[in-house]
Amino acid sequence: MLTRRIFIKAGGMALVTLGAGPRFLHRAAQAAAGPGPNARRKVLVTIFQRGAMDGIMAVPPVDDATLKQLRPRLAMSAARSAAEAQQVADLGVGFGLHPGFASLLPLWKERRLAIVHAVGSPDPTRSHFDAQDYMETGTPGRKGTPSGWLNRAVGLLGHDASPFQAVSMTPAMPRSLYGDAPAVAVTNLAEFRVKLPGADQMAAAAGQGFEALYERASQGLLRSTGTETFHAIDMLSTTDIAHYQPANGASYPKSPLGDALRQIALLIKSDVGLEVAFAESGGWDTHVQQGTNNGTFFRRASDLADSIRAFWGDLGSRQDEVLLTTMTEFGRTARENGSGGTDHGHGSCLFVLGNAVDGGKVHGSFPGINPGALYEGRDLPVTTDFRAVFCELAGKHLGIRNDASLFPGWTGGRLPLLRV
Amino acid sequence: MRDRLLTGLGAAAFALCSLWLVWSAGGHEAWAADRRPALHMPWKEAGLDQRQAAAHLLNRLAYGPRPGQVEEVVARGLDRWVEEQIAGSLPDPNLQARLRDMPALFLSEADMVRIYPNPNMILQQAQKEGVISKDEVAAAKEAKILQQLRGGAKNPNLVADSTGAPAPAAAPASVRSNGAAPASAAMESREGEALRAKILEFARRRGYRPQRELMAQLLAQKIVRAAEAQNQLAEVMTDFWFNHFNVSLTNDRTRPYLLSYERDAIRGHALGSMRELLEATARHPAMLQYLDNAQSTAAPNAPTLLGDQLDRMPARPPAGYYPRPGWWFPGRRGGFAPRPPAPQAPKREKPHGLNENYARELLELHTLGVDGGYTQQDVIEVARAFTGWTVLPAGPAREQVEKRLDRVRQFGGLGFRTDGDFLFRADMHDSAAKTILGQRLPAGRGMEDGEAVLDLLARHPSTARHLAGKLAVRFVSDKPPRALVDRLAGVYLQSGGDTRQVLRAIVQAPEFWSRDAVGAKIKSPFELAVSAVRVSGAHIEDPRPLLDWVSRMGQPLYAYQAPTGYPDRAEAWVNTGSLLNRMNFGLQFAAEKVRGVAIDLPSLCDGREPESREAALRTYAALLLPGRDLGATIKMLTPMVSAPNLAHHVDQAAVPQDGAPAAAGKVVGKPAAEKAIAVEPARFSAPAGPAGSAGPGGSGGAGDGGSMAGSMASMAGMAGTDAADHEPARPVGGMAELTAAPKPGMPTPLEQVVGVILGSPEFQRR
Repeated sequence: MLTRRIFIKAGGMALVTLGAGPRFLHRAAQAAAGPGPNARRKVLVTIFQRGAMDGIMAVPPVDDATLKQLRPRLAMSAARSAAEAQQVADLGVGFGLHPGFASLLPLWKERRLAIVHAVGSPDPTRSHFDAQDYMETGTPGRKGTPSGWLNRAVGLLGHDASPFQAVSMTPAMPRSLYGDAPAVAVTNLAEFRVKLPGADQMAAAAGQGFEALYERASQGLLRSTGTETFHAIDMLSTTDIAHYQPANGASYPKSPLGDALRQIALLIKSDVGLEVAFAESGGWDTHVQQGTNNGTFFRRASDLADSIRAFWGDLGSRQDEVLLTTMTEFGRTARENGSGGTDHGHGSCLFVLGNAVDGGKVHGSFPGINPGALYEGRDLPVTTDFRAVFCELAGKHLGIRNDASLFPGWTGGRLPLLRV
Repeated sequence: MRDRLLTGLGAAAFALCSLWLVWSAGGHEAWAADRRPALHMPWKEAGLDQRQAAAHLLNRLAYGPRPGQVEEVVARGLDRWVEEQIAGSLPDPNLQARLRDMPALFLSEADMVRIYPNPNMILQQAQKEGVISKDEVAAAKEAKILQQLRGGAKNPNLVADSTGAPAPAAAPASVRSNGAAPASAAMESREGEALRAKILEFARRRGYRPQRELMAQLLAQKIVRAAEAQNQLAEVMTDFWFNHFNVSLTNDRTRPYLLSYERDAIRGHALGSMRELLEATARHPAMLQYLDNAQSTAAPNAPTLLGDQLDRMPARPPAGYYPRPGWWFPGRRGGFAPRPPAPQAPKREKPHGLNENYARELLELHTLGVDGGYTQQDVIEVARAFTGWTVLPAGPAREQVEKRLDRVRQFGGLGFRTDGDFLFRADMHDSAAKTILGQRLPAGRGMEDGEAVLDLLARHPSTARHLAGKLAVRFVSDKPPRALVDRLAGVYLQSGGDTRQVLRAIVQAPEFWSRDAVGAKIKSPFELAVSAVRVSGAHIEDPRPLLDWVSRMGQPLYAYQAPTGYPDRAEAWVNTGSLLNRMNFGLQFAAEKVRGVAIDLPSLCDGREPESREAALRTYAALLLPGRDLGATIKMLTPMVSAPNLAHHVDQAAVPQDGAPAAAGKVVGKPAAEKAIAVEPARFSAPAGPAGSAGPGGSGGAGDGGSMAGSMASMAGMAGTDAADHEPARPVGGMAELTAAPKPGMPTPLEQVVGVILGSPEFQRR
């Protein structure tokens, strides 16, 4: 992508006066000259479902008698016909899909969407805090790991970074992106500019002042980051973020997740060098009145599925570059509780979406929910370590070879999920 | 001659005596002012003048200078100022008066936990007292009620809590406008409302207060102290040690203890003995919960101290009456007459045996360092030594535990110990022998095990190096010279781990004053915000918008999730997103768009009106960046103020104001210093958002007219793209022109200039 300023920099004397200059600048200059490293790269999009999604409700074993016993109020029957759209859709592989996820069905049928069941962390904790921490650091049982696994993934990409290489669409940097690789946490891209409320012209003038000052800053890091910052602003300024029109009639839910994915799509299509994106979906801690084909779970599921569906449609021809995965800290009890909900459990399931995904399948090993099969007599066990999934995705999609650096201590290999 | 000899002997004796005192008392009483060797700070040798040296000290040992403070420090004497800071005992009545507005700061730890319980605790208590039924407890565990009991999101810095439940009212406009997750149907119903009212009424009656209030006062005191405390170094070190022994409010179990942790475990030892600090953190419920030691127990087949104690009892009471190992968890290891757990008992995570988290971080982060020469086996052995170090539970469970402890006391204590909310449980403690770093701890001991480990670690050379390195990084540079770290480690060991002596060694080190070090540290977002408040003589009336900015720049306070604490190096703070926020902070801070902070820029000039705008620029740059070489900065900013028609153009740009509150007009004159600090609402009510802050979400930025084009053109010179656009600097107008807002609510040219200075690269450094 060419911006006015990059042209100036690449064509003028600026690069010379800056000496070595930031690596990014060189890359931008190369990009101006023709296809270069700023060219399209693979993007891994991750959605953390905070609160622990009930994997048994999301992807239940079809017409399972035990399920109906354990969950007299929550178990749902599979739809007998297309007319029963509000029932669990039979995926034809022994599992159903909760109606909240209905908008993912076409992607399943197109075999772009895969499910991994009974996935999770080997650590037994049922604390949201601990389990999220372990999943985000990628080191179950170890709290001291300074970095998050997504940040390590960025570090292992092994090539120059764009300011938008790793972006979290959250107000604060998530644990997943703690670490040495640069990452940006932002909720609204339209605010990615020099701002002085009520005085836009003054802000613009001040922005030029800043740019000049940072270009000449004596401290190297401030100089190079300052330069990159103004490039980043430029990159975004060519897009009318506030009036961004999703392609292919995609309609994002008006929710924080819909907003986040819409902006991630925008970043992908703007070719700003995005490679790892992070978003959150909240409200999965369904202790109370979880509901069936409406209610809390249904609404959270619809928001997630509709957001993903819109995102995928919006990507259009860019789909090949993108792989999306969900994750959640643990699952919920196989039994429903006294208040129509479920409590903290162990194994759950996750979704993986991409054109290279071995889709239309439920991967992993589902041990069933018979009392004898349950973990501690109450939860779906974890039969697939989440690290086996993420190693596969980061390995095959982002080209990260060193699984041991990505997940220190993990020797369990990869779960085959992508056709490559 | 004789006299001189006597004097000499006396001096020698005195020196020996001091040395002995240092060794024996860990340096505690040895630093009475009259016995201290004089400081020698080699700033002259480094080519600095006295003002530059004072400014450097204020940037490193304090949160930056306040107006006129460089001169004050020079007048007082640099050595004397440093000694006062290291002693940390200057009287500070103004700060004390401000802190009195925050009553939670003065509660005992027990009261804190009792008055500001976790919301789940309130539900348990309500159920115990028969106010609500079991089903209602479950129904109430719906995010909205919990959030209301808490007073807002768990993390006052963040929008969503760890269960992903959004806090709608606290969300920034950008998120809020998109709608939060819908509340569950249950709570929208009338029964839901009734239940909510019942629980809130119960909480009110019992005198519970929303936890967010406690967190708000914790956050407020930190920023107010940093901005206003006389004992600045004590604040800097409290921040340093908190981060070193990090715990996080993102953890439910830790949150109620956070304020007490900083106040009781960290602050009192911030300028003192490392060994005492280590124990204070090791015993504090915040740490015990955060790194799970509270849940760490002897392995099922290991002997416990309680078992040993019972074996030693000469005459046993009748079986079934006395406690045996495992009695705390009936049934787990065949305890006595297991009482069936009450059906309504809170679901606790059952301990799974040994938990290594605290032990590992104690070695890796708190003491020896990652390359400190320990093995995984050492981690396990240390974890065994600390089994039983746990917490007296809060809430309804506490009574039951206290009853059990009373019973234990009838048998002479049986090795159990309590101290505040700290509890040592003999039944959880692995009493077999341990070998740690080659040192054997004999079998049959209790708390002494953990204390022996702390002794060993505090005086270990690896600890000395690790801490010396971290202190050098904080005070000198991101990559401190190895020779300096070695010297500081030596001082640490010689002084028995006395922080004050290490600090004295730092300020006397040539490396501290070297060209490579002065101005080389990037301010953390907190340091940036506080230094802006200090240098501009601003007054914090409501700290929340300022705290909001600190979060946005990447440092939500007390909320770093990892036990490592925030990394203390430039790369951690300076990336594309955060740097932009830092520039915006400077700009908006100077324009008083960071609400709750009152600034009077003209008064900084002390009534002396600069002759011209250029003079004003030079004056303010010197005021805001004392001791810095400002030639380049001023040169680049000059076109900005020298635009002949700047004010005129700005005036003509009749900008339609979209952010109405932003047009409230600027505070002129001295801020009301006596005004009580605004903290959180003190009662249970619908969660209120943070006080309005003109953050990035505050304005949609309506299109301006084109009349700014003239001034924009004159700015172009600043962008460095076309030097020919430079107009020669000439005196135009003066102070009045600079300080007049072109439109009500619009920043004045002076504010704009100050904003650019505060957002400039120079101000990012300390």
